[in-house]
Amino acid sequence: MRTMPKAAALLLVIVIIAGCGDQRILEKQGFIQSTGYDLNGTKNDEKDNRLMITVDIPKSDPEQRMQRETLTAIAHSSKEAKILFAGQTELSLVSGQLRSTLFGVSLAKTGIWKHIDTLVRDPSISQRVKIVVVNGRAHDLLVRDYPQHPRAGQYIDRMLEKESALMSFPLVTIYDFSRDYFDDGIEPIAPIIRENKKNISFDGIALFKKDRYITKIESKQSLIFSMMKQNFKKGEISMKLGDGSKKQEYLLFSSVISNRNVKVKRSTKGNFNIQINIVVKGSVLEYSGSHELSKDYDRKKIEKRMAEYIENEAAALMATMQKHNVDSLGIGRNVRNSLSYEEWNKLDWNKEYPDADIRISARIVIKDFGKFK
Amino acid sequence: MNEKLHPFHIMILIYMNQTGVVIMSLPHLLAENFGYNGWLGVILISLVVNLNIFIISIVYRLGKGKSIFQIMESSLPRVITFPIYMILIGVWSMTGCMVIKNYVYIYQIMSYNTTHAMLLKLLIDIIAYLLIIKGIYTISKAATSFFWITSWMLLLQLFFIKDFEWARLTPFLFKGDTHFLTGGFIVFTAFLGYELCFMLFPYADNPKKFIKSVYKGNLITTLTYLIFCLICFGFYSFEQIRNMMYPLLDLLSYIRLPFIERIENLLFGFFLFTTIVSVVLYSWSAQETFARIVPKANKKVLAFIILTFGYIVAWFPDTLSEVGQWLQYLGYAELGVAFGLPLLLILILVIHKGAKPS
Repeated sequence: MRTMPKAAALLLVIVIIAGCGDQRILEKQGFIQSTGYDLNGTKNDEKDNRLMITVDIPKSDPEQRMQRETLTAIAHSSKEAKILFAGQTELSLVSGQLRSTLFGVSLAKTGIWKHIDTLVRDPSISQRVKIVVVNGRAHDLLVRDYPQHPRAGQYIDRMLEKESALMSFPLVTIYDFSRDYFDDGIEPIAPIIRENKKNISFDGIALFKKDRYITKIESKQSLIFSMMKQNFKKGEISMKLGDGSKKQEYLLFSSVISNRNVKVKRSTKGNFNIQINIVVKGSVLEYSGSHELSKDYDRKKIEKRMAEYIENEAAALMATMQKHNVDSLGIGRNVRNSLSYEEWNKLDWNKEYPDADIRISARIVIKDFGKFK
Repeated sequence: MNEKLHPFHIMILIYMNQTGVVIMSLPHLLAENFGYNGWLGVILISLVVNLNIFIISIVYRLGKGKSIFQIMESSLPRVITFPIYMILIGVWSMTGCMVIKNYVYIYQIMSYNTTHAMLLKLLIDIIAYLLIIKGIYTISKAATSFFWITSWMLLLQLFFIKDFEWARLTPFLFKGDTHFLTGGFIVFTAFLGYELCFMLFPYADNPKKFIKSVYKGNLITTLTYLIFCLICFGFYSFEQIRNMMYPLLDLLSYIRLPFIERIENLLFGFFLFTTIVSVVLYSWSAQETFARIVPKANKKVLAFIILTFGYIVAWFPDTLSEVGQWLQYLGYAELGVAFGLPLLLILILVIHKGAKPS
């Protein structure tokens, strides 16, 4: 037993000494919060395949006036850029606190998987890093200061977190993107943001084919897109209801609870008939039309018109997606799950999708209409 | 030798011995070798394990609770038992040390990237040594407390229910690019550890419940693996799992609490508890076997020799994939031990018509 204290002391010494091997001192670290990727060359200059990479680093040192540091480098890859950054700053850069990556739209068109691949591979990077497409250049958006808002990286991050909770735009993380990238029945999406004079705003949903940006969905349609894609709670949508002849009515539908299901049938010829049923419940808090919300008969009429509105908008969205051949809703998954493995393997869903017969029907339930008759 | 193991402790010991570092890559191995819905492969392998436990239970019944060494020595000449013991010592001590090295290497993907791996391994070896020299009774007590320290981690899987989708599982069963035989062997290594129950024969408190608790231990392992792999297959897409080396690490890094995120380094530390039980039990078995060859030696010295031998061998493989290779081959050898040794013992016992009354 006498050896025990000695052994314990030895153990303690070894444990403490092991800590000296890999030191990380907080004040000397630069925690990258956002990274922006852009193509360096313009369209005319296609030989230049280098990237312009920008990082946004918050600074916590109270003695310094600057709240943040931005670094830009032109390199072939993000890891090469990291080496170039190292030569520009006194901090040692680490990516453990990375929150969002921004891709310029011109780069997104050429494919972004190879950049996301390094993020997935690097164990210091969280699975929850957000992926955002910038309509314009990510560099310009990141280096600017927005006097009324926090620094760019935090501004974007907080806005995304808040708005995605309300379903106004999708929150797409590395996890979501790579999961859908590898799935054979769905294509990835990402939110698009844009730089305005005074602020940054949401600009729609980017639709990808594998890792290439193909087209986008306008921001005002994003909730309809969400209704078609998944079940969700929360969110609000403003609708313009017109019945052709009469003047237009405006309605705000809030506290939305939306459920959808997809039914796949295959005709004898081998064509697919796909039915997407959407059921939306919510409350109406603003209505500018001539009907009375408190009357059951009138309310049913309004519900019907709202359903028509959603069906029309959804059909238009569906047509766009089929035209560009992007299955962002993941209908391919439902088709796959209705087939046997051999049938699915034989089927070229890419070819079938643009011509598939996809119908959308919606049912609206106005749960309540506020506290006033 | 007076202290006996309670059936509950045996159950926990078996479970803790089975789960180790292989769980890190288990979903990936299943997807790669069993194809779509490979998580169900866990059940197939578990059935084979049950068969193996059944074979071991025959040895136990025929041998009337005698230790495997007594059975062998009662009828085999020393010329034959000596090489068998040497093989057992070699396989068990090397398995123990490679498991640690594997854990250390995976840990170094995340932190202490440039610290010398063997220094970290030495730290774990010291803890292991302190446990081994205390004997099986203390080991099983420690394993039980480690079990309670780590069992809450199963609840972490609740984090993934929100993003779990049955649609991702697909209706295809074991389809795609499959390698049932080689894959089955590899996945089997994730279950190894139960076979060491034949070392526990003389320590069983309740002969009737002994084998039952081994079955139960394996059942807990199977359920843990099954739920964890099901979550992975519904949380990630199939091709994605095939491309992920350590799905568990990715899962851990996805967890975010309201006040903290990126806690995977902390959580990964807890896996040391399940890993160290495997190491300790394998090294303890090696030490017990060694004591049969040199009965007069001090057991503490033997444990020290075994760990030192393991430590030296562990210098050789230099990369994570090499360690994986070594572990795989050792796993095959252990598989041979798990099936071969009980069969040999049954043969001896049948020829001798049961154990001679001692």
